Amino acid sequence: MNKCYFIVLLSVLCVRCSPTNKTSNEINIYSQRHYSVDEIQYKNFEKLTGIKVNVVKANADELIERLKNEGANTPADLFITVDAGKLFKAKELSLLQKVSTSEIKKNINDAFEDKDGYWVPITYRARIVVYSNERVDLSELSTYEDLATPKWKDRLLVRSSLNAYNQALMSSIVANLGSDSAEAWSLGLVNNFARDPKGSDRDQVKAIAAGQGDVAIVNSYYIGLLLSSENEEELKAGNSVSVFFPNQEDGGRGSHINVSGIGLTKYAPNKKNAIKLLEYLTGEEAQKIYVNNSYEYPVNSNVEPADIVKNWGKFKPDNLDLNLLGKYREEAILIFDKTGWK
Amino acid sequence: MEIIKNYLIVENKRWIIGSLLIAFLLLLPIAILFIKLFSEPGKNFSYLWDTVLIDYTFNTFYLIFITSFFTLLFGLFPAWIISNYRFIGRNFYDLVLFLPLAIPSYIMGFTYIDILSFTGPVQSFLRNTFPVLASYFNIDYLQIETLGILLGLALYPYVYTAARVAFSLLGSNYIDLSKSLGLSTIKSFYKIILPLSRPAIFSGLFLVFMEVLNEYGAVKYFGINTYTTGIFKAWFSLGDIGTAIQLACLLLLVVFFFFVLEKISSSKTKFFYETNSPVQRLLYVNKDKLLFFHLVCSIPFILGFFIPFVFIVNNVFQTYSSIDFVRLFTLSFNTIFVSSLSSFIIIIVALFFLFVEKISKTKINTIISHLISLGYAIPGAVIGLGLIMLFSNIMDSFFSVSLIGSFYVLIYAYVIRFLAVGKSPIKSSLEKHPESYDDTGKNLGLGPFKLLQKIHLPINKFALISAFILTFIDIMKELPITLILRPFNFDTLATQTYEFAIEEMLPLSSSYSLSIIVIGSMLLLFLKNVINKQLNVS
Repeated sequence: MNKCYFIVLLSVLCVRCSPTNKTSNEINIYSQRHYSVDEIQYKNFEKLTGIKVNVVKANADELIERLKNEGANTPADLFITVDAGKLFKAKELSLLQKVSTSEIKKNINDAFEDKDGYWVPITYRARIVVYSNERVDLSELSTYEDLATPKWKDRLLVRSSLNAYNQALMSSIVANLGSDSAEAWSLGLVNNFARDPKGSDRDQVKAIAAGQGDVAIVNSYYIGLLLSSENEEELKAGNSVSVFFPNQEDGGRGSHINVSGIGLTKYAPNKKNAIKLLEYLTGEEAQKIYVNNSYEYPVNSNVEPADIVKNWGKFKPDNLDLNLLGKYREEAILIFDKTGWK
Repeated sequence: MEIIKNYLIVENKRWIIGSLLIAFLLLLPIAILFIKLFSEPGKNFSYLWDTVLIDYTFNTFYLIFITSFFTLLFGLFPAWIISNYRFIGRNFYDLVLFLPLAIPSYIMGFTYIDILSFTGPVQSFLRNTFPVLASYFNIDYLQIETLGILLGLALYPYVYTAARVAFSLLGSNYIDLSKSLGLSTIKSFYKIILPLSRPAIFSGLFLVFMEVLNEYGAVKYFGINTYTTGIFKAWFSLGDIGTAIQLACLLLLVVFFFFVLEKISSSKTKFFYETNSPVQRLLYVNKDKLLFFHLVCSIPFILGFFIPFVFIVNNVFQTYSSIDFVRLFTLSFNTIFVSSLSSFIIIIVALFFLFVEKISKTKINTIISHLISLGYAIPGAVIGLGLIMLFSNIMDSFFSVSLIGSFYVLIYAYVIRFLAVGKSPIKSSLEKHPESYDDTGKNLGLGPFKLLQKIHLPINKFALISAFILTFIDIMKELPITLILRPFNFDTLATQTYEFAIEEMLPLSSSYSLSIIVIGSMLLLFLKNVINKQLNVS
């Protein structure tokens, strides 16, 4: 009798634990994005097309490692990251295939397209400077390079170099100025740190409000989140700083941007469905949803940024080939280590 | 010798072979990783030496030092007071001092930094009411020392539990004796009690070391570079597997160092709790000591549990309108399902190994038993990737790859990682029972299986329950393995909490973290009940 129970229990477990059978009407995604807005998008897409969206969310590098090991047997169709550098890395490891349709091309502003055609951007964000309204005069600010000059000694705040956004920024500096200048820049920045790099982007803004530093390098949408916070004190902190887009001078290269983007995996089992999702996510409806929920910038020119974001004014983005953010990644990290940016 | 050999061959061969097979399965992913990693050329060691190694090493050891200091501070003294004195509130403290174990260390870190931050309740309150004082509190709290204290608060229950059991089992003979020899209470604590309880306390502290070495989320948030963050950076950001393995070896070396330290510490003091020495009488407390005792017992509880708990509950109320109860329920179910199933398997595996070690008496089984505990020291993500490599490279077929996103592999990884947690309570319980039980059983004609079923299962019942609950709570809090190995669309309370927290939306994570804490606390209170029974039984 006992044995019977045991067998029943075991078979129930096997059914519960086994990977679900493949049906053609679905898409499997490996995603680095953790935002709740993504869930909304997938649900809308499911309603619209009847295609089920399955997601595993984890760290981009670990997902790349997983894709690499799974090879041709991977269940994943799409790989989503918040950093073009990781898409470049996936492409270099030949984990991706080219993807382009007239619909996607029509949706996306040419400036953000991958020139090699291996990935599709869905939103972009700028890594900007915020400054204390009390202690910094707008005229003091100009470029990223200027932040390395001695006038900012003990006034600069930024998070750790383990953070991918900082790694991408450093890669852009290497790509634009060369590695010697990048090293000098990093050294200058380290000398100007008000404290050791730590915390999140939002913590840097709070530290300005607390008077621990005067300027910080952060991603644009965190300011949006802070300004839409329901906590009164956080709102106050958000309002005690202003946003500045660096390198906007005449002939300047523009502010560093990075994209959230999607690659189609080389062995995608549900390629057709995956392309449908790409077309949907770059379309106007989905772009509006992104913009209003996560305060990122749209890649579709027909869609306007959220009101909070629009208030900061238009800016000139650095039109560097975003693949270079991946190409110079290793060099960037070595510079961090060498110059002591923790 | 011949006789022993024959005995082995005839009686327990199947058990020993079985244990070897399972040990092979448990060690395989780690072995694969090392073989694979060693075959990759890396930068030479001088790169590490020139740039970051000193920083990593200093931070790792400094963090371990601060954390251990505070776990001992928060764990030992309350354990001593509660084991020896009778006062109003004692039962309450005895119940709640375990509870910080229910709060994952990354939640502890994120929560406290939010509480202490410039926009948090403490500083806001001071600014509005005592502006003069406010500036003293406006400091940078993201420091390694703060993290050490917070980890101390999250991890002291390991020391507390071990010390509490050890102190209670000492019996009053030692204390009576030391008193009649004229030692003061404080002196007898340092001279008699601490040395006698050292092995138990150290085994608790050993778990603390492992947890600190493994810590990733909170350490990264605080911007502190340790061996573990270094491994992640080298492997993932730089793609430099050679450097990652060098750091991993260093990490294992540190673990080995602590491991030997524990072995030495426990072998020097070979001490058996005498079951027939009279159980300690609880002493009454005079008034001037009472306040001090209350302070010592309440501070770890208030800081380690009450404050973060209240803050999280407050966040839940603030975000009440946006809580998705269906999702909360689903994730709680997922969490309970995967944690209980894995803990169940871990207990069976742990019991099996310990039992084989007990009946076989061969050196090899003792070594294996130590080796399989090694998983606890290896960062979760490294184990996860070891399994991915195992399933995709060794058995290259669609079937084996599709196993990667299944519960089988997820649970496999949990077993490797948390076997040591399940093993330690069972081990100490098994060791307490005399060999004569086995001999009597054998004389009465019981085979190994019957011996396990009729004698060891019933008499170690409480230890098995404790082991189950401790592993359950650890798996419930687990992050890196779950993130990378989970099946499609499978979220747990921990992954959801983490996703909101790293996107800097702490209030939205509160309902999920509260569920973790509530489930964990209920189990811990139940566990406390079990331990109390155990103390009375033995």
